[in-house]
Amino acid sequence: MTTTHPLTEASVLADITTMLARVLDEYGGLDVEVTADTTFHEDLGLESIDLVEIGALLAERYGERVNLAEFLAEKELDDVIGLRIGTLVDFVLAAAGTGA
Amino acid sequence: MVECNGIRTHFQLMRARHGIGAAPVVVCVHGLGYDSLASFYLTLSAPLSAAGVDVLAYDLRGHGRSERPRVGYQVTDFVDDLAALLDTLGIDQPVHLVGNSFGGTIAFSFAARDAARVASVVSIESEPATRAWADRMHRTLGNVVEEMSAEENLAWLAETFGSHHARLAKAAALIIQATSIVTDVPRGPLLTSDDLRALAVPVLSIVGSEGFQRDDPLALQAALPNCTTEVIEGQNHSVLVERHHTVRDLVLDWVHQHESASQPAGRLAADVA
Repeated sequence: MTTTHPLTEASVLADITTMLARVLDEYGGLDVEVTADTTFHEDLGLESIDLVEIGALLAERYGERVNLAEFLAEKELDDVIGLRIGTLVDFVLAAAGTGA
Repeated sequence: MVECNGIRTHFQLMRARHGIGAAPVVVCVHGLGYDSLASFYLTLSAPLSAAGVDVLAYDLRGHGRSERPRVGYQVTDFVDDLAALLDTLGIDQPVHLVGNSFGGTIAFSFAARDAARVASVVSIESEPATRAWADRMHRTLGNVVEEMSAEENLAWLAETFGSHHARLAKAAALIIQATSIVTDVPRGPLLTSDDLRALAVPVLSIVGSEGFQRDDPLALQAALPNCTTEVIEGQNHSVLVERHHTVRDLVLDWVHQHESASQPAGRLAADVA
């Protein structure tokens, strides 16, 4: 389902935190505080395959315009490995705010 | 997630975003051990979809989010899974198989069994399941069992290459410990040199100059009747993830070229731009 409320950095961070908790549920739950500086791999212990699930959750929440695969395909491997939650938030705000 | 050949299979179908008429279908087959459909999700899927291609990627049995049976890891099991997935999803047009490493091995065996379902094969650092391949796989997997499951080696990997690589190695070790993959994979069934000579589907072999085929990058081209080779200089085995922009351009050109030649109804975005 897509949202009609104006998106803010805080609301997107809260949404992504909820998605992370859902993905991490199978690994024992989310046990760290998620901030813009939290890293996907190092801090949360998630793998590339988890990004696929996050991508699906983002599209479900914000619509197909928020295409994580397209965003990540332009990045180099090291950037993906070091991906920060804040980078994801910025991406969502930019992608969801265009083409309306 | 669908059940195919008795295995709950995780897949992702990214539909063509542009283009007119029936879209070409690319099926991405990932490698062994720590690999998953994510390798394609992060590299080729979105750009190919944006260029007018339907892109199907899936997790092999035992990998990613697909079911992990304890036994059943011969090449023929993976080929059966792929055929069942295409059947389940109703994909009956010939597909372009893009196989990374062991994924290419599966693609060759699939094409050898059912060439009518294959428009072409793009082999990324791969080779067919021949006797020489089986012997190398047997040795390689044996080494992995010995080295990657030891905690001290994982610690060394983490220190040297970062925790990401150590985690990947640990994931590979888990599959190896939980399944019969090490003994099953080299069993094939194997393809003979006659089988390879009879493989008429067009093949694009993309290899790194420092990759697994560094001793003879053109060996595959010599063994197959219709194979073109692209050597990426200064690149090791990790061609797909480390040189994905180059691979993307090569695959798009390749699919475009073969769709134009064989299926006038299927058109890529470049045709209508």
